[in-house]
Amino acid sequence: MALNILVVDDSSIMRAMIIKVLRISGLPCGEFYQAANGVEALKVIDENWIDMALVDINMPVMNGEELINRLRENPDTADLPIVVVSSEASETRIEILRRKGAEFIHKPFTPETVRETIIEMTGVSDEGSTENEDIRCGSLDF
Amino acid sequence: MKHVIGVADMKISGNPDDILVTYALGSCLGITVYDPVAKVGGMAHVMLPLSTGDPNKAAAKPMMFVDTALPRLFISCYKAGAIKQRMIVKVAGGAAPLDTGRGDYFEIGKRNFIVLRKMLWKNGVLLKGHDVGGKQSRTMTLNMSNGEVTLKSQGVRTRL
Repeated sequence: MALNILVVDDSSIMRAMIIKVLRISGLPCGEFYQAANGVEALKVIDENWIDMALVDINMPVMNGEELINRLRENPDTADLPIVVVSSEASETRIEILRRKGAEFIHKPFTPETVRETIIEMTGVSDEGSTENEDIRCGSLDF
Repeated sequence: MKHVIGVADMKISGNPDDILVTYALGSCLGITVYDPVAKVGGMAHVMLPLSTGDPNKAAAKPMMFVDTALPRLFISCYKAGAIKQRMIVKVAGGAAPLDTGRGDYFEIGKRNFIVLRKMLWKNGVLLKGHDVGGKQSRTMTLNMSNGEVTLKSQGVRTRL
């Protein structure tokens, strides 16, 4: 089963990095969608089938916490698997997010942490093929 | 058959009866790769992070440096039938020396691991397991029949 994944972060570099991790992780990924803030994310979710969202917290227009609140209020998205990827340091705030059903990954993160968190959340296997074609941007050593 | 990989050395195998082992991983990195379908893999014992400071040495002993050793390890496995997307990569070592009172000034172990990580990232490969850092020396073993990697450190054996 291929996962359609939405990555929400105001940094385009961070979104690209997370997507690259997902592509090379061996997880069964389908389509990738991106949003720079919570408002864009809600639009993407409304218009597309999304299986999982990786969400930053500190974003302009609508932050990640507000996005999660909106998703949990909507019966269609109340159970959407969400992973918060943030530099948030407050344990209180992190616990609040966890109580809303989100997993948490601290920035900076290792690619393996993202992979393991998604495997744990979804139960999917990482023994699928990786999309090497999309990684060939620039020279490769091997 | 047991094959011992020395410092700045590498061994590739497609023989399920082989056990690859390397000893005394201090600041050095032991890197294993294994394709569980082709049952091909290899092990490298690498000393230093970058070859740029000594290109002559790198030409003579490419397995001494992470940046010259890692491509050779992978490409040698490809030639033996391994497929990149299936390869399981594990690494151990990268320790800091015992405290001499001057600290770990050159941070060789840490830099070895950083360079390795950067190269793996650039080439679209994730680690499946790693045991790096600390101060203890490690022995690393790769069982070619099943890809199992075991470590031994201070008398304790663990599976990576």
